[in-house]
Amino acid sequence: MESNVATIVQTVELKKTYMLGKVPVFALRGVNLKVESGDFVAIVGPSGSGKSTLLNMIGALDKPTEGKVLVDGVDVSALNDDKLAELRRRVGFVFQFFNLIPRLTASENVELPLTITGLSKNERRKKTFELLKAVGLGERVDHNPTEMSGGEQQRVAIARALANNPRFLLLDEPTGNIDSKTADMLVGLLRSLNEEKGVTIIMITHDLNIAKHAKRVIRLLDGKVEETNIGAE
Amino acid sequence: MNVLDIFSYAFSSIRLRKLRAALTTLGIVIGIAAIVALLSLSEGFRIAITSQFERGFALDVLTVTTGQGFGFGLGGASSGTSDEYLTLNDTRAIYGITGVKLSTAITSKSVGLSSGDLTFTITAMGVNFTEYSQLYSTSFIAESGSMPNSPENDSIILGARIADPWQNGTVFAEVGDYINVSWITGSITRPVVKNYVFHVVGVLKEIGGFSISGPSDTQVYIPISTAQTIFETDRVNQILVQLVNSEQTTIDSVTASVESLFNDKVSVLSPAAVLNIFSSILSTVQLFLTGLAGISLLVAGIGIMNIMIVSVMERTREIGILKSLGMKNKTVLVIFLCEAAVIGLLGAVIGIGFGYGLSSFVARFGLALMGGEGNGILSEQGAGIGFNITPVLTPTVIVGALIFGVATSVLFGLYPAWRASKLKPVEALRYE
Repeated sequence: MESNVATIVQTVELKKTYMLGKVPVFALRGVNLKVESGDFVAIVGPSGSGKSTLLNMIGALDKPTEGKVLVDGVDVSALNDDKLAELRRRVGFVFQFFNLIPRLTASENVELPLTITGLSKNERRKKTFELLKAVGLGERVDHNPTEMSGGEQQRVAIARALANNPRFLLLDEPTGNIDSKTADMLVGLLRSLNEEKGVTIIMITHDLNIAKHAKRVIRLLDGKVEETNIGAE
Repeated sequence: MNVLDIFSYAFSSIRLRKLRAALTTLGIVIGIAAIVALLSLSEGFRIAITSQFERGFALDVLTVTTGQGFGFGLGGASSGTSDEYLTLNDTRAIYGITGVKLSTAITSKSVGLSSGDLTFTITAMGVNFTEYSQLYSTSFIAESGSMPNSPENDSIILGARIADPWQNGTVFAEVGDYINVSWITGSITRPVVKNYVFHVVGVLKEIGGFSISGPSDTQVYIPISTAQTIFETDRVNQILVQLVNSEQTTIDSVTASVESLFNDKVSVLSPAAVLNIFSSILSTVQLFLTGLAGISLLVAGIGIMNIMIVSVMERTREIGILKSLGMKNKTVLVIFLCEAAVIGLLGAVIGIGFGYGLSSFVARFGLALMGGEGNGILSEQGAGIGFNITPVLTPTVIVGALIFGVATSVLFGLYPAWRASKLKPVEALRYE
């Protein structure tokens, strides 16, 4: 590894315990992870292994029970709600079920994070169009998510995640709800983003065919990192 | 996120559920409309009364009645049961008091007035025509016919609305006509109806407004001597006292003298006092009615809260998405409050228009049914409510209604909005 590459995300003995009724569920039991700028990491593991919990914590959507999540060296668990919100603006999240807002058009969905950040209308419009073009949806800007295929919706979601030039992209089973052909296309898009634009990517998947496109694969099992660098090209 | 973007985002979600938003708004519309209608009507009412007083109404005239009651208007009823009563001789006694310019008596009675097939129940006023017209020189004026100084026993002068009840030229009676006056005497168990035919010698000029005291469009006037003869009484219902001036000191000193003259068994009212009493009653009624209307706003507020709680639940996932994109809690709060404010503002604007329309409608048709046609509420006290009110929408009411509508919505939207803002992103995103 080159010494001048910055660590973007680091977790230190990260633990998360949920209460399911009165039964504690140990979702994460001490995860140590380091992701560097320009990396493309795939996280694999069976359901219940804590993948999503880990991702939510890295994306500042959730707080750890114990341990630390460092984003750009800053401990996320020490931040207040406002600071967390600001941090999320520098993180691009892509979900399995797209999570687009149905009443808004594709372009309005992509525009939303830019609106939240407070960009001017002109800048927003311009950037939105570029983003949608970049994911190959330049023609479909005025369609509602309900009028789009799963693959198209996921591409809108990726465009939205990229809107604020995030430090890294977090993808939670991005291909989980689309057919394999579209999934391949999507992974191609992610690879080109990573290789050409240098976007750091952390992606959860249970599909090894998808995972193999990553530079690095991490396997989680029962809330712990079991092995790294399996199956990477 | 700038204000305009927040507003447009809030508006887009309202637009999505039009029917629901419309129904929620309707609650505010009804509440605001009720308040605006009541306030503009009562404001019109207040102005009608005040202008009546200001329009040359005799501020230098005191009304003396027996009993302690509020001798409203011409005070017939309040003196009916008292053992003590005033007679024509008392007029002379009062005339002797310093500061008194004129003193004249009135004997009034509720009578049936018939001409042709029509009968109205109105108040007949037995007055001294000369003295009475001196007292009310601006309103007791004949439009047609004359105001005889020494009238015949059967002379009668009609109020403008008695002569022309519908104000469309279909006259009930005019100068020269003979009309029958009937009244009931005897006991309740054995009533006796008596009649007397009068000759119309004059019709008053229209006075307008409505009468608290003094001449009215809905009364008739007969010589007091005739009144005492045919009604078989020597009592007078009230004595009107004109003062040498309308200064408060004169009013106070004459009031005190009159009261001591009759051993405090009479009440003396000045028009200013009547106006004050009337104003305070009106204020109380206004407050009470507004309070009632306010309840409907409360209900509307609860409706808004209810709908917004449902809306927050439905949009939990959306809130999660907004937060995952970096929206701050307070921005979420403001978006939901903004939605409530839009509903409140919309409801208030429609409500103000609706309320004013309602009050105009009531003023035009509702009150006309009550008394405008001359045979409605013409009570024995003589306060004939044959009046017209123009509802008045003051800027204060408009601004107040807007603020009230928005404030109610925002207030009741506060809790749901707060709940939305406090949702945890990860849980909100998981919400199905």
